[in-house]
Amino acid sequence: MKKLLALVLAMTMVMALVACGGNNDSQGSTPAQDQQQTEPNTPDTPEPAAGGGELTLWTYPIGDWGKEEKVKAITDAFTADTGIAVKVEYLAYADGDDKVNSAITAKSAPDLIMEGPERLVTNWGDKGYLVDLSDMFDDTDRGEINAAAMTACTHPNGSVYEYPLVVTAHCMAVNLDAFKEAGADQYLDLENHTWTTENFIKAVDALYAHFNAPVGAVFCKGQGGDQGTRALVNNLYGGTFATASHDQYTWDDPKNIQALEQLKSMPGIAFDASLEGGDEIKVFYQGILKMAFCWNIAQQLNPNQADTGAGLTASGEEIVFMGFPSESGKPALQGGIWGFGIFDNGDQAKIDNAKTFIKWMCDSEHTVDAVKTANYFAARSSAEGTDLSGIWADNEIMNQYQVLMPYLGDYYQVTKGWAGARTEWWTMLQKVGEGADIAETVATYAANANANAG
Amino acid sequence: MARQSKPTMSRALQRRENISGYLFLLPSLIFFIGFVVIPMIICIVTSLTDANMHDQSMFGNFIGFSNFTKLMADETFLEALKNTFIIVIVSVPTVCAFSLWVSSAIYKLSGPVLSAFRCIFYLPVVTGSVAVTVVWKWMYDNYTGIFNHVLKGAGLIDQNINWLGDSRYALWCIILILFTTSVGQPIVLYVSALGNVDQTLVEAAEVDGANSFQVFWQVKWAQMMPTTLYILVITTINSFQCFALIQLLTKGGAGTNTVMYHIYWTAFKLTEQAGHFGYANAMGVVLAIFIGLLSALQFKLAKEK
Repeated sequence: MKKLLALVLAMTMVMALVACGGNNDSQGSTPAQDQQQTEPNTPDTPEPAAGGGELTLWTYPIGDWGKEEKVKAITDAFTADTGIAVKVEYLAYADGDDKVNSAITAKSAPDLIMEGPERLVTNWGDKGYLVDLSDMFDDTDRGEINAAAMTACTHPNGSVYEYPLVVTAHCMAVNLDAFKEAGADQYLDLENHTWTTENFIKAVDALYAHFNAPVGAVFCKGQGGDQGTRALVNNLYGGTFATASHDQYTWDDPKNIQALEQLKSMPGIAFDASLEGGDEIKVFYQGILKMAFCWNIAQQLNPNQADTGAGLTASGEEIVFMGFPSESGKPALQGGIWGFGIFDNGDQAKIDNAKTFIKWMCDSEHTVDAVKTANYFAARSSAEGTDLSGIWADNEIMNQYQVLMPYLGDYYQVTKGWAGARTEWWTMLQKVGEGADIAETVATYAANANANAG
Repeated sequence: MARQSKPTMSRALQRRENISGYLFLLPSLIFFIGFVVIPMIICIVTSLTDANMHDQSMFGNFIGFSNFTKLMADETFLEALKNTFIIVIVSVPTVCAFSLWVSSAIYKLSGPVLSAFRCIFYLPVVTGSVAVTVVWKWMYDNYTGIFNHVLKGAGLIDQNINWLGDSRYALWCIILILFTTSVGQPIVLYVSALGNVDQTLVEAAEVDGANSFQVFWQVKWAQMMPTTLYILVITTINSFQCFALIQLLTKGGAGTNTVMYHIYWTAFKLTEQAGHFGYANAMGVVLAIFIGLLSALQFKLAKEK
């Protein structure tokens, strides 16, 4: 009996060793992969692999690119067209970066990833994990693609790490019914969807006087939706967040300090460290807050992703999207640019297939569907002869929203040390909310961000 | 001859027994070495390097104790360390004292009633921490939470309290949840330990004129010391490693950053920063040293007792 047990245990040990040995074998293939990496990329549009093949795509929730039924429809069409199967994994902003970083560390990154330049260019592209896509752009492409988007997708070293698909402008939103109830709608320019700093202050005061509770929240629990708080602070008195050359953070600008002091002094505005952007949207959707600083066209079309009607709160009150208040009434809005990047996993056939996928989605007659799936605006005017400028002609809300697009400001998210800077930003807002000296706190955290930017 | 062969046979038998024993241990040993010992060694080694996720090799460049020197001047880390100690110092004694009190009150109850109490106190332990935390999050909610609703309804507050967003309350809210999820196991263990106290010693003490307190302190408490030691060590380690609650409720904001959460944030969020793996591992080593020291102290005190 003992011999039998000993034999079983010995076999367990041997199997464990064999399992480890198998892992070593796979590591042994690395030099061959390295050899493949040194081969030049195939130029322009690659031919689909004869045998089809399979791609893995990881996508953040970019409009309906976060919804399986919508994405499956378009990837199935791609597979039917090219024979290349696409396996999609849906990431959340809360932990998506962790998953991608873990996958990179474990050398199991996906073939394709869909996100914005702040991750694809400034982070993973900068570190050499992504394939340079510059051979996918000819002069026609560069002429058709939004210039700001093209610049944001291009690394300072000239490599293009993201092929842009869609763009939008982030904005804020107000509960129009609540504004009317408090007599604050007089401060809104509803035709142009803009307002001045002076009118914003008057509106918040009127709302607070009426509802006797904070009506807007400078949310600062984490980095989710922080483009809203940055845009609010920057726009109030015309401050900046980073230099135009994107090499230094400038949020210790006295105009930003003035804006923070103004916001802190307003009883109708709460600095809330229990909310992130998504939480703020939910509270606004519930009708508790009367304005949301984390908003864009995707939210306007489907507030809180609750499928209870475009431009309406949970109780049916009307939501109006607005530019951020500024002294001149002309905001500088934070842009959103999303597209695809390819991880360099050392398999040239997969890289070619991934380029075929990108070409199919971003520069073909199918681009209309890919853009509409995102619920944003096309990053280019036309794709292989298909005019993309009027693809939302049948959607009144999308058409209205285009009034904000001329206000797109600098895409400073590509400044070096971006992840660290975001952490410093919301931590700083928490300290300001707790009553710390604003000028001193802003200086400290801006300096930290710049130290990380190195 | 016979004298010589007997010990030889015994040694052979002993050797076979030892081999069998080690073979039984082997599967666990492989996992223990693979998933505990080796990662610990890697953690210690990388804490002395500038390793980060972008290096091709696992270990970066050797930089001596630079990470540890940097930690001593890192205000965020020191604040996280302070918060961690507050959690441990508050949570460990209260968990032990409360568990002991509840156990003393219920251990003599009849079987079904005792089982019901055990279930009630153990429920938060077996329920997933995410589910428990989500419920607490609803209750603490600044705008729609039941705590604010009740307090306002009772006229005790005028404005809502931002339980998880205000540094005056947030850490204590975390400690309260940690408390409810930590008392289950100690209560079950103490009930068991109290049930196993030698009644003859208790009766002898009572015959000798000892009062209830003396019986408890001199007889029962002394016999429960191994259980107490286990509870102290486990609760201390759990409190030091408080992570899920912070991640799910505050993300380290509002004065609730702990060392465990700061390690995670540095290692997996601040991936652009040079040497972030090495730096995070240095924090891990410091945390392990503190846990080790405190556990050793607890062992020593318990031994003296």
